[in-house]
Amino acid sequence: MANGEILAGFLAPHPPHLVYGENPPQNEPRSQGGWEPLRWAYERARARLDELKPDVLLVHSPHWITSVGHHFLGVRHLSGKSVDPIFPNLFRYDFSLEVDVELAEACADEGRKAGLVTKMMRNPNFRVDYGTITCLHMIRPQWDLPVVGLSANNTPYYLNTKEGLAEMDVLGKATREAIRRTGRRAVLLASNTLSHWHFHEEPAIPEDMSKEHPQTMAGYQWDMRVIELMRKGRMREVHRLLPQFIEEAFAEVKSGAFTWMHAAMGYPEIPAELFGYGTVIGTGNAVMEWDLQKAGLSHLGVAGASPGAPADWGGTSLVD
Amino acid sequence: MSVVSAFLVPGSPLPLLKRDALGWGRLASAMQRAGRALEASRPDAVLLYSTQWLAVLDQQWLTRKRSQGIHVDDNWYEFGELPYDIHADTELAHACVAASPRHGVHARGVNYEGFPIDTGTIVACTLLGIGGVDRPLVVASNNLYHSGEVTERLSALAAAAAEEQGKRLAVVGVGGLSGTQFRTEIDPRADRIASADDDRWNQRILQLVESGDVGQLRSAIPQFASEARADMGFKHFHWILGALKGRFLGARVHGYGPVYGSGAAVVEFTI
Repeated sequence: MANGEILAGFLAPHPPHLVYGENPPQNEPRSQGGWEPLRWAYERARARLDELKPDVLLVHSPHWITSVGHHFLGVRHLSGKSVDPIFPNLFRYDFSLEVDVELAEACADEGRKAGLVTKMMRNPNFRVDYGTITCLHMIRPQWDLPVVGLSANNTPYYLNTKEGLAEMDVLGKATREAIRRTGRRAVLLASNTLSHWHFHEEPAIPEDMSKEHPQTMAGYQWDMRVIELMRKGRMREVHRLLPQFIEEAFAEVKSGAFTWMHAAMGYPEIPAELFGYGTVIGTGNAVMEWDLQKAGLSHLGVAGASPGAPADWGGTSLVD
Repeated sequence: MSVVSAFLVPGSPLPLLKRDALGWGRLASAMQRAGRALEASRPDAVLLYSTQWLAVLDQQWLTRKRSQGIHVDDNWYEFGELPYDIHADTELAHACVAASPRHGVHARGVNYEGFPIDTGTIVACTLLGIGGVDRPLVVASNNLYHSGEVTERLSALAAAAAEEQGKRLAVVGVGGLSGTQFRTEIDPRADRIASADDDRWNQRILQLVESGDVGQLRSAIPQFASEARADMGFKHFHWILGALKGRFLGARVHGYGPVYGSGAAVVEFTI
């Protein structure tokens, strides 16, 4: 089989407010709009995905939290109603998705080989988390591409940020090898917000944009600093700053999706395209793309050629 | 006093889904014994707080008359489903929503079809035999930003609302003791508390609970939470304390044991 490709990676945050603001037929609550700049950012990301024509979308979500290992959706078809436990007033969404089980199994196999605990989720009644569903709806509302859903093992929170991100690095490299081995043309989705300080009370009208603003100045400034570095392609510095960013901005990238995605992409030192930035109940959200195809980095080459973590990042391999 | 009984129980699904694992089966049996004691106290409603119903905005109270469905746990899906059919005392729940702001807490009712009832609530309902028409629930979320003190205020206002409505109330806090879990798959038959230190902490806390020494417990909880990673800072115990106006005479421990390395106990308070 031909070697696979990772065409691109997207930072694709998952506030359910974006689905609510869009009023798609799948979502029961109705809104008067809201969060338009972020929704327009996703429109641009959708157009890019159309151009890329991937076989599969892989999404790592912080809202499927697992304690024993890294889990993968492993049922070919999953459907149901997803009600957000935090924002049930905004998100009650009828979903139906197809899973690329072969690729998911390959990811789990490669992760196991690399020293991780991995598990395949085989229960057909499983409720897919709202982070996965929101991210997928916003990037591909047609739901016509198969997906691989990855859980967020709670290691970064349970142990510490560095050890947790080191584990996500291994998971990313395993994902890369699985994509290579199965010959897929894949797009990766890191379903993470940036600064994550948020309001503690919801405005009476959730979509009242006169109430929307960054929760803290420090969080906003951190977001601008890392976005600017990403736009310039200074990714090594971003990864070096990540633990401090996480600590000082309560950044959701702690849950691992961002590190997983960049490890899988081989830590490309290329500029990201910013489609848009906006806050949602005070948190900082950016929709961004790293276009590996355009950079000539999409082909995954031969087995075992996965690059290491950035030298000054401090990541470690579980099997070294 | 409106409160006629109080219980602390674990929220892990493993005792319910894998009763054939001896230690987990014993915890399930202990919860069923506690359920019989709860039934004997003849409550009109059950005031329940589960550490697994996570919230970050406002205080949520379940105001849906009947919640039905099949839940699959995020971690333990391979052991089966958790069907549920939960009735709520909506009159009392609405009173709690209305009273919360008077105690400095923004609150809202949750009344949505398909709302994801958390694993701990379902496990407690199933093994304690609560949540039916005859023992409806008032369920409160665990707002991650609320302290033990705020949690006590919330259960106290709920107990006061029950008293105003002339209702007998059972109180249930759903959560664990020491929180360290094994990170790799284990043989359930070989389960144990993750460390001797955690075990010592759990035993100490349970002895203090049995003695009814609330002062000593209040002093010990912060250190217990920090050193033994107590489940959610042991806020489910604060839930009990608030409803009991900060005092109880002692307690009976129906069961204590490990759940994948973490500590779990089934406790019936003497009030």
